[in-house]
Amino acid sequence: MKHKKRLPYLLALPALAVLVAILYPFLTGAWWSFTSYRLNRGAPEFNWGKNYLTLFATGEGLHALWITLFYAVVVVVIECVLGIGLAMLLNYGRYGSVFRLLIVLPLLLPPVIAALMWKVMLTENGVVNWLITALGGEKQLWLNGPDSALWSVILIDVWIFTPFVVLLAQAGLKSVPQELIEASAMDGAGPIRNFFSITLPMLTPVLVVIVAFRGIDSLKMFDIIYTTTKGGPVDATTNLHVLAYLDGIRNLNFGMAMAGLIVLWVLCNILANLLLKSRRKEATA
Amino acid sequence: MTALNELDTRTLVSGRPGPVAGRRKRRKRIAHTIVIVLLSAWSLFALAPIVWILMMSLKRPEDIVVYPPKFFFLPTIDNYITVLSGSEFMTPFVNSLIVTAGSLVLTLLIGLPAAYALARFQFKGRESIALGILSMRFAPELLIILPLYLLFQKTGLYDSYLGLILAYQLVTLPMLVWMLRSFIEDLPVELEEAVAVDGGNRWTAFRHVLFRLIAPGLGASLMLSFIWAWNSYTLPLVLAGKNTQVITTGIQQYISYQSIDWGPMAAATVVSIIPGILFAVFSLRWIVGGLTAGTVKG
Repeated sequence: MKHKKRLPYLLALPALAVLVAILYPFLTGAWWSFTSYRLNRGAPEFNWGKNYLTLFATGEGLHALWITLFYAVVVVVIECVLGIGLAMLLNYGRYGSVFRLLIVLPLLLPPVIAALMWKVMLTENGVVNWLITALGGEKQLWLNGPDSALWSVILIDVWIFTPFVVLLAQAGLKSVPQELIEASAMDGAGPIRNFFSITLPMLTPVLVVIVAFRGIDSLKMFDIIYTTTKGGPVDATTNLHVLAYLDGIRNLNFGMAMAGLIVLWVLCNILANLLLKSRRKEATA
Repeated sequence: MTALNELDTRTLVSGRPGPVAGRRKRRKRIAHTIVIVLLSAWSLFALAPIVWILMMSLKRPEDIVVYPPKFFFLPTIDNYITVLSGSEFMTPFVNSLIVTAGSLVLTLLIGLPAAYALARFQFKGRESIALGILSMRFAPELLIILPLYLLFQKTGLYDSYLGLILAYQLVTLPMLVWMLRSFIEDLPVELEEAVAVDGGNRWTAFRHVLFRLIAPGLGASLMLSFIWAWNSYTLPLVLAGKNTQVITTGIQQYISYQSIDWGPMAAATVVSIIPGILFAVFSLRWIVGGLTAGTVKG
């Protein structure tokens, strides 16, 4: 009987070891965030949370926090609207499978490489600008413009990750009973009314998963931003994750880098809790 | 409901749609056309960049730099020959294969028993362990990687395959455990109990019954882990040096110099997106099932 109690721990032991192993760098990092640790200046020295104050008092960190939140909110809203819309279109007809494969394709590329592809197309004499001038528009600066850079990065994110929402939303739409919609249509409800009173409420559990996943990933977005703009021009696209990289690797200021990362970690955790809570509710229901 | 039935019978009797049904049919046809147009528009948007890079990879240098861009040109495979014959691309490509395969094997060894334990046993701290493993996926990578970078430099793991494979567990392990756990939970316990009744032990039950049933789910989890590991950028950016550069960091070489090597860069891009596409095309269905397990039924 005794070995039976030990068996699950034994099975989970390697995973537990990994967890403990990760705890070490995590706690080290958390400790650094409270120190004036510069790689080239010797041992970490405790400085009573001065990094956090500096982060938000100098404006640099505040700006990065703003970019982080703006990026995440905009990206999640656009991707959810487009993704759910596309998923409904795909479920409407019987020709879904071919379109689905085409639509999903961007999700299968490494984000870094997809971002590079866009960078190539968005140069001054790139194909996108050519297309715009051919249609009578004016050339745009895209990733090089202080105002347009952030939106260009958002465009790339939308291109890559909308399919993720499509896939999950499609699965969620399967659980919406078609008879219910037909019956309500018989009672005179329009498609818009049907969407908001039947489809959307039924989609909520999947939507929580989508918002949590996409929210966390865009809060900590690094790949697309760093490969296309390196945070620039000036700091137009510097979010907390990119700022931490620049602080840590370029300026060797590990204390500041870690303070930014801890703030970001807290933000991510808030969304992760939303996800986990909803799943636990599902499990007990 | 009755109105619908009446309509149908009228249509059936006369053999041709009545006036109301006709209008509805026309409206339906218009709706279908709109749906197809919208889906085509998005597909074009999704496909165009990939096609453009594919075209670029087949162009001669003089066809690439011109403005307005050329849509018709004499294709060449020179760029692919350059890319596939030189070490500049092939070394990172092989490194990617080694590191990704290595981290998958390790993840499987660690994750499969853990997922099984989390799905099939009630024990103290079960949920905390599950949450702990999952939270690895939700932390900003640099939070772990920057301290790891110094640790790796001290222990000699920096710029080594083993170091990268260990670090990649950060990406691959949480998803594998999470997906696999829900796959196993979806299978009835009675299956294994039946084996126990016949005198088998847990191990035989696992090997002969459960393992075969979770094989598709296992495949999907592995494929998703593969894609995540293959796509990973932040980890190798910090932890890989000259010797272990992988594809996502290696491909930057083509543009980080003063001049951009457009043709080879495009060819390298095309080659490096192939594995992900191949892997995912076969497993899309299961991946979605795994991510939404528990939330969506049916």
